Amino acid sequence: MAKVFVTGVGIITSLGDSFEANREGLKEGQCGLGPLKNFSTKYANSLLFGEINLSDTQLKDLLNVKESGVSRTSLLALHAFNQAIVDAELSMDKISNAATALIIANTVGGMCLTDELYKDANQKNFGSEYIASYDCAATTVFLQKKFNIRGVVNTINTACSSSANAIMYGTRLIKNGYAERVIVGGTDALAKFTINGFNSLHILSSGLCAPFDNNRNGLNLGEGAAFLVLETEKNSLGKKRYAEVTGYANTNDAFHPSTLSENGTGPFSAMEKVLEQASLKPSDIDFINTHGTGTENNDVVESKAMIRLFKDKMPAFTSTKSNIGHTLGAAGAIEAVYCILNILHQEIYPSLNFKEPIVDTNLIPEQRYYETELKNVMSNSFGFGGNCSSLIFSKV
Amino acid sequence: MFYIHNTTCISPQITFPEVDLDQLISCTENKFYTKEIPSTDIPPAILRRMGRAVKLGVVASIPLLKLQAQLNGIIIGSANGGMEDCIKFLNQIIDYEEGVLTPTNFVQSTSNAIASQLGFISKNQGYNITHVHRGLAFENAVLDVAMLLQENPKHTYLLGGIDEIADYNFNIEYLCGYIKKNSSNLDLYNSKTSGSIAGEGAAMFVINNKHEGAVSELKALKTIHTTNEKELVNVFEKFINDNLPENKTIDLFLSGENGDIRYEQYYKTIESVMNSNVSIAHYKHLSGEFQTASAFALWVSNYIIQTQKLPLNMLKKQTVKKNINTILLYNNYQGYQHSFMLLEKA
Repeated sequence: MAKVFVTGVGIITSLGDSFEANREGLKEGQCGLGPLKNFSTKYANSLLFGEINLSDTQLKDLLNVKESGVSRTSLLALHAFNQAIVDAELSMDKISNAATALIIANTVGGMCLTDELYKDANQKNFGSEYIASYDCAATTVFLQKKFNIRGVVNTINTACSSSANAIMYGTRLIKNGYAERVIVGGTDALAKFTINGFNSLHILSSGLCAPFDNNRNGLNLGEGAAFLVLETEKNSLGKKRYAEVTGYANTNDAFHPSTLSENGTGPFSAMEKVLEQASLKPSDIDFINTHGTGTENNDVVESKAMIRLFKDKMPAFTSTKSNIGHTLGAAGAIEAVYCILNILHQEIYPSLNFKEPIVDTNLIPEQRYYETELKNVMSNSFGFGGNCSSLIFSKV
Repeated sequence: MFYIHNTTCISPQITFPEVDLDQLISCTENKFYTKEIPSTDIPPAILRRMGRAVKLGVVASIPLLKLQAQLNGIIIGSANGGMEDCIKFLNQIIDYEEGVLTPTNFVQSTSNAIASQLGFISKNQGYNITHVHRGLAFENAVLDVAMLLQENPKHTYLLGGIDEIADYNFNIEYLCGYIKKNSSNLDLYNSKTSGSIAGEGAAMFVINNKHEGAVSELKALKTIHTTNEKELVNVFEKFINDNLPENKTIDLFLSGENGDIRYEQYYKTIESVMNSNVSIAHYKHLSGEFQTASAFALWVSNYIIQTQKLPLNMLKKQTVKKNINTILLYNNYQGYQHSFMLLEKA
């Protein structure tokens, strides 16, 4: 099957609004988590969030968005999308070529406008400017129209593993001959809806999240967007190739709507299948960007699954959620871009807030910055509904 | 692309568990609900806790899960997923001013609730995904299955298109002008007004590469986002040239027209470029309009090929009566998301 290369990336998170700014933040071990400023919620000051330091108005000015009804979710996506197409040197002709696909993952959609949605959905007014912008597909349709994308266009929502699945779907479109070029990404904005949702599940950390720490007590929510341009071997000839997408796997834990099974059947089989799909052995993996949310359930289950697969030869691993929080539908794409940074610069960034290992599993994430040889990097994304996905990016 | 084996469909019509499309069920308002579906296979207490879309998908799938023990994955197209739960949770947030909330609605509000529930019920640890791209959510699920079978030729998958009428999407779609004020499915195509009637349903398919035992074969799928009729015609003509051999003809054109005067032209245009001896039928008076109504269209096409019976109420233009072995399906959602599917007798 055809090889698929990453030829462009774009990203915006609480660490910064570019590829380089995110690298600096990761390298310096910066934390983008803090109190919430952009909208009012009861939890704005009592919990910590990976919020992007730009208001909707600032984002609209920056991006020259004049249309009405564009939600923050779409604005963040547009920012990362713009960077990715420039980075991959895609002309407008190439973008609207019938062989160019657009695949976006999203879980919050325009529900970041929780109060407006409440009024519109309950018909408490005659419809706000955001009336057609609440669903997950709204961002995709916004970008499709703006850039006249004429190939396959899709939106995927598998909760927190959404954008790993978008990357997988995009890669498969190229491998199966349905596209030559795919612009693929994930986006999610902070929302009163998700803050209250995760709070009702009692899995939000009272302080900074501490992935893989024995005393971890939950996750921090974050926001952001990341896009990758994927191209065929032929189309990427002579261009920079950040990495090859060598592995992708999607499995289901089939256990519980919001909790992973004790032994991590789904996470284990996602990691096992992604290796098989990439024709790699566990010992070929040099580094893992874990799902590592910092919740009691995820980190111990992911650890057990990793131990079962890698045994006593555990690769280096970190959780970048300790820098930017859990960005839900954007997490898979953001973490894919972080894996590309690892590969591009042959370096590992420190995982933050770790003090002592989980008693049962005793795994220790990397806590310092260092340069090292990285050939194959794995990224894990697990979501509600038992959706588990793993990706492998390899050095070209 | 692939072969269609067993199917089920829950719709506003008599389609589950037995099918009788000659007896047309009508609606008197702009919401065309499915009938309440009893299922003896799921304990009522569990069924009660499921949101409407989840219930539709699960109840429709149970007979197929029983027939097909070995499934390699579950691929769902659903634009709205668990919207009933979404609005319940949303209203709790605002009404109780972000007080102590119960998480059940939140967990069930995610779009992937149907596919994941099917995963739990069937203990299926294979590929599991939910495509949510509005009027092309089901089409992307179809493309996903086609690719899965290119990658794993021996596998069998469960494919479905499911959406519910919940207050959330109904109110919003009404405010968007997608739904007529007052309407009945009986005069849907003559209304000369904008909007359609809201529908819902679940159509489920067992899909693999085996010709043996299959009812029909999906030969091709094409989707495009455009509002330009000329571009649409070009895409359509290329679709036919690429996929219909010269010695074959289309026996039936199944039109997705929905009574919305704003988008009638697209259907007329496609009808006009088609050979004049093709019979034409429509189905939105059976299903109502919703983002994954094309799943109902694929189900009813497969049923027509299987039974060789075209219910009279579906017929728009009858040409010479003959066997229906090749059906062309065209649908558009709100004038900018178009899809073509070509279905053949297996």
